[in-house]
Amino acid sequence: MLYRCIQAENRKLHASPIWIMFFLLPVISAGYGTFNYLQNLELLTKSWYSLWTQHTLFYSLFFFPAMVAIYAAYLWRLEHLGHNWNLIMASPVRPLALFFAKFVVVIKLVLLTQLFIFFLYFLCGKVFASLPGWPPPETFFYLLRGMLGGLSVVALQLILSMIIRSFAVPIFIGLFGGIVGMLAASRSRGLYWPYALMQYGMNSNKSEDLLAGSYLPFVVSCFLWLVAFFLLAQLLLTHRDVKS
Amino acid sequence: MQTVIETNALCKAYGKHLAVDHIQLHVPEGCVYGFIGPNGAGKSTTMKMLLGLIHPSAGQVFLLGQELTAKNRLPLLRQTGSLIESPSGYLHLSAQENLQIVADLKGIPHKDIARVLEIVHLTGDRNRKVGQYSLGMKQRLGIAMALMGDPKLLILDEPTNGLDPAGIQEMRSLLADMPETTGATVLVSSHLLGEMEQLVTQVGIINQGKMLFEGSLRELQRHSRGSLTLRVLHPQKALPVLRNNGISAQLKEDLLTLPPLRDELVAGLVQTLADSGAGIVELTRHTKSLEEIFLSLTDAKGVS
Repeated sequence: MLYRCIQAENRKLHASPIWIMFFLLPVISAGYGTFNYLQNLELLTKSWYSLWTQHTLFYSLFFFPAMVAIYAAYLWRLEHLGHNWNLIMASPVRPLALFFAKFVVVIKLVLLTQLFIFFLYFLCGKVFASLPGWPPPETFFYLLRGMLGGLSVVALQLILSMIIRSFAVPIFIGLFGGIVGMLAASRSRGLYWPYALMQYGMNSNKSEDLLAGSYLPFVVSCFLWLVAFFLLAQLLLTHRDVKS
Repeated sequence: MQTVIETNALCKAYGKHLAVDHIQLHVPEGCVYGFIGPNGAGKSTTMKMLLGLIHPSAGQVFLLGQELTAKNRLPLLRQTGSLIESPSGYLHLSAQENLQIVADLKGIPHKDIARVLEIVHLTGDRNRKVGQYSLGMKQRLGIAMALMGDPKLLILDEPTNGLDPAGIQEMRSLLADMPETTGATVLVSSHLLGEMEQLVTQVGIINQGKMLFEGSLRELQRHSRGSLTLRVLHPQKALPVLRNNGISAQLKEDLLTLPPLRDELVAGLVQTLADSGAGIVELTRHTKSLEEIFLSLTDAKGVS
C-alpha cells in the first residue's frame, strides 16, 4: 500500500514547477557562500573546511528550512487545490500511508538537493576559490548527517502544510524555526529544537566537529522528534475532518 | 431489494449548529438516487460522512450492508467511487497521468484507464494537461476517476455543477445508464430538482440538515404538482363550467390559471370543458420549484 502511495506521489512531481526551485535555491546559496568566502580570505584560512562553513551557514540557516518548507507546502498545495484532498482521502489507503509517501518524496528531493549542494561546493571550490585537491571526506559525511537531522523538520513541515491551507505561512514558520534553531544551538539547547538538529548535523559555521564524541544524544533526539511528529500526523489524519 | 447505503440518525454538529440533523438515508441497490437540496442544506457534509471524510457527531453509516467503521473503511472504499466538491485532478498533469495516480491509490491495473476514458469520451484528450480542460471536461475526468476499478457504489456530489446545458444532458445520460452498464448504484446530489427529474428513480430531499422527503420520484411529483395554465378559444364559455366544478380560476388576457389539481380531476375537467364548446387550445402544468416543494413538504408535515 505504501509503495503504491509513493508511486502516486512521485507521479505528481512530473513536469512540476518544483524542479525550478530545486535548481535555483542551491545555486543562490552556493553563490552567496562562495562570495562570502572570497571576501574573507584573510579570516578563513582552512581552505575546503572554511569554504564548507560558508556554504552551509546560510544553507542550513535559511535555505534548508525554507526549501523543505517549500517542498512540503507544494506537495500539500496539490491536494488543497481542486479538492484533491477529498479524492486521495477517499481512496482505499491508510491516511498515514499518504503522509508517509509525501515524507519519502520530500526526503528524496532533499537528498537530491544535498547531493547537488555538494556538487556545487566542489565546483565552487575548484573553479572560483581554486582550492587544491579534493574536499575532505568528512564534509560529505556532514551532508548525510544533516539529512538525518533534517528528517524531523521534513515531518514537521508536512504537518504544518497539511493543516495550514496557505502556501506561505508554513514557509515563514520554517524560516523562523531555522533562526530560533541557530539561537538554540548557540546556547547548546539544539537537541530540544528540531530545526537546530539539521544545523548540528551539517556542522555549519564551525571548523571543528560539533558532534565529535556525542553522537548518541543527537541520534536519539532525531529519532524521538521524528516519532513524535508521526504520532501527531496519525492523530490529526484520523481525528480531524477533511476540509477542502 | 438490498439497501446499499443506509444511515441511522446521522448527525454532524458544528458548535451548536446541526449541519446534518438525524438523517435517515436509504438507497436501494441498482438505482440512481437523487439527493436534492439547496446549497448549504447538508448534502456535501452527508456525502463526506458516507465516505468517512468527516466524522459523524452521532449516528451510523452502513455501506453495502456493513457499518462503516475505522476498521472496515478501506475494504468498503475499495468498492466505492466518489466525486466530492468537483472538479478535482492535478492540473499540471494529463488526464492519463491523473488516472494513473488514482489507479495506484486504488491498487487496480492501469488497463482500466482506457475503459473509463472511453466512457466519459476523453480518449482523444487524454494526453492534454488537465489545466487546459474546460469545466465540463474536468467534470468528466472526475467521473472517470470515480469509475476506476468498477465500483459497486458511486457517490457523486453535484456532478452537473457549472456545466452548460449540453454538458448537463451528456452527464445525465452517462449517469442514467450507469446501473445498467456497470451494475453500480449511484447516489448523486444536486440543488436543482429539474435537472434530476430525468435521471433519478429515487429521491431524498434535504433542507437545513433535515430530510424532508424520501421515496420514489413519482411520489415526489405528487407533491410537486403546480398550477395549470389553460388557453381556450372562448374563456366566457369556460368560466361558468369551472365555477360549477368549484374551481377558482383567474382570467388574465386569454389565459386561465387554475390551482394545482389531481390528475383525475384534470382529465374530467378537460372533457367537460370540451363538451361546453370552450375550445381547448393548450393546457400546461407547471412544476413547482424546489423552494415551493420545500414549502409544501414542510406545510404538509406541519398539518399532519
